[in-house]
Amino acid sequence: MRPSRLLTALGGYPLVLLVVGAATAILLPFRSVLSPAQVMLLYVPIIVGLARSSGVRASVAAAVAATLAVDLLFVPPYYHITVASPVDWVTLVLFLGVAVAAGLQTGRMRQRERAAVQRQREIALLNRLSSRLVSEESVESMASSIVHEVVAVLGADRAALFVRTPGDSSELLAQAGAPEAGLTEHALADWVIRNDKAVALPSSEDVPVELRPVTVAADEALSGTVADGTFVPLQTPDGLEGVLYARPLAGAGLHRGGTRQLLAVANLAAVFLERRRLEQAAAHSNALRESDRLKATLVSSVSHELKTPLAAVMARVTGLIEEGEGCDAARVQSELAAASEDLHRLDSSIRDLVDVSRLESDAWRPKPDLYELGEVLGTVAERIPVSQRARVTFEVPPDLPEVWVDFAQLARAIYNLVENALLYTSVEEPVTVGARVLGGDLLVWVEDRGPGIPEEEKQQVFEKFYRGSTSGPSPAGTGLGLAIVREIVRSHGGHVWVDDVQPSGARFVLSLPLGGTAT
Amino acid sequence: MNIPNTPSPERSPRILVIDDEEQIRRALRSILQARHYRVDTAATGEEGVSLAMDHTPDLIILDLTLPDISGLEVAAQLRVWYEGPIVVLSVRDADADKIAALDLGADDYLTKPFSAGEILARIRAHLRRTSGTEASVRVITAGNLVIDLAKRAVTVAGRPVHLTRTEFDILALLARYADRVVTSRMLLEQVWGPDYASDTQTLRVHVSHLRQKIEPAGGVPRYVLTEPGVGFRFVGDQEEHS
Repeated sequence: MRPSRLLTALGGYPLVLLVVGAATAILLPFRSVLSPAQVMLLYVPIIVGLARSSGVRASVAAAVAATLAVDLLFVPPYYHITVASPVDWVTLVLFLGVAVAAGLQTGRMRQRERAAVQRQREIALLNRLSSRLVSEESVESMASSIVHEVVAVLGADRAALFVRTPGDSSELLAQAGAPEAGLTEHALADWVIRNDKAVALPSSEDVPVELRPVTVAADEALSGTVADGTFVPLQTPDGLEGVLYARPLAGAGLHRGGTRQLLAVANLAAVFLERRRLEQAAAHSNALRESDRLKATLVSSVSHELKTPLAAVMARVTGLIEEGEGCDAARVQSELAAASEDLHRLDSSIRDLVDVSRLESDAWRPKPDLYELGEVLGTVAERIPVSQRARVTFEVPPDLPEVWVDFAQLARAIYNLVENALLYTSVEEPVTVGARVLGGDLLVWVEDRGPGIPEEEKQQVFEKFYRGSTSGPSPAGTGLGLAIVREIVRSHGGHVWVDDVQPSGARFVLSLPLGGTAT
Repeated sequence: MNIPNTPSPERSPRILVIDDEEQIRRALRSILQARHYRVDTAATGEEGVSLAMDHTPDLIILDLTLPDISGLEVAAQLRVWYEGPIVVLSVRDADADKIAALDLGADDYLTKPFSAGEILARIRAHLRRTSGTEASVRVITAGNLVIDLAKRAVTVAGRPVHLTRTEFDILALLARYADRVVTSRMLLEQVWGPDYASDTQTLRVHVSHLRQKIEPAGGVPRYVLTEPGVGFRFVGDQEEHS
């Protein structure tokens, strides 16, 4: 407890007796050399000091106590209220008057000073919060600033911010200070949301009536409940956004001016919650538009990627049936081999579509374990068609640490990159798979000597259904391979990007945290 | 695809296909009959179990998604008395089902869609093993790797490689079951004994050492591949299945 709090707790009067008594004890030995007037003069600074530290009432009490002390101990006859000379009466009365006046004046100054300090604090608080509000901070950090400021500046023991849910109940967004004490907090917050009234908001003379929300006592809101704090509805012109709750320290109220400050913070919090709601609505409608666009692309891509190989197979097979028995065996073989290739393409397109939708709907969560990168690359290497295998070299240092990954997903991601590199470069060009540790990350890359990726497409290549715009040959594919890579790497807490290779070529780099953050 | 070791019709192995999809049953029937296997087909689990009891097949192909009882349940029921190979068919990425099927005693699994080459290779491998014709295999060769099971000797590109007893046992077991997934549990039970069936960490360490000795430099295994969550698979000499 700070000293000023201690003084407040003493209620002023014991302190007054203590200080006046001590001063009297010090002055008493000099009674023979000091005149009563001089003694009175010496009491004045003490009374002014008490006025500064403990307020008007204490200073008046001190003035009375000092007058009594002078009367009893310094004006003859000692130890009697009565005095010998009528002039001394006048002096005593004058002293009392001056002392009270000095105390009153000082006390008022003290009040004004305090109010000014309080105002300053309040303005600083509002400045801090409003500058955060415009600085596009994240929802979490803004919400937590609000409740922390309420605790720190308003001297609350606990503060909580509730947001209104679409179902008209309250949802806790942030809290600070002591933990929730009872079960009624949430129920009362719900009540405030539904009734748009404050609960247990202390009245305050410095808040104009029209700015004060309608307030009720806790047991008026929910019978049988006792509010240990104040619930303020967060109103904006568009309606109610949430509830701000502040619980004062046990036994003490909020700071002086607390009601006004709480309402000021509540206004800001309301603006913040309104902005948050509007942003969410905007994001949602963007997501809807994006998802509509993707659905349209999906339908066209699906119909193209699935129907093309199917049409080819159908044409070949019905062709063979048409030709009947007379068909030459070598031709049957070659037609069937071609049909089989088309079917593989169909299978891989279906696989891409299924995987991308599983990744996006979170139905394919990583199931990580500790593996050596080499093990994963062994599986990747085995998947490469035998005819292409000689083009791919693996340059992996032998002493790589184990990584915490989903084996199947990582193998899929690296294989997609290798497959892309093989597809987009000509058959005599090599493809290199490499790896190294950089800081806390494992880098794995797939490098080719093809035309490379133009600067402006380096981001877009990872978008769904994006097909390179370059004039070169555009091999068959769903345009989902790299999107799948990005989703997989993301779910492992890593990144993927593409670099240039000199003199020409592209290097796709996966960076995976070695600590492992796959969820 | 040429047709080696085509069995003669009268002594030809009998294969039971349990799959609810008519197209798969038809395709397998025609592929297998073309290789002179005798084929029974069942569309439900119960039908499959009763057919298996009527004519004990030499091999069972079992789809895991069946309309009446689950394929896993069928595998468990069959395993009580049936000792022949069971090859499980599953859709892609149903890893948990695959592992469960292997643990219940299925011998192998194949992911749909599969090529005729793949399934025929598995069938031949399993039938060789159960018919005892495999017992004479003394030396297994894959790429540069030669494993002499009788002499317990291994060479890579002609150079002898020294393996510890455990490493050799692991390699020999994997190579005998080449191109099939061998579960960690099976490796642990056969190499260390039944009490060690869950010590996969130890197994991983030994496999890692084994790889350092037999795999090509560069840390990317070619012979012993990891089957995540299941076990390991030895890659024999490869033929392109397509």
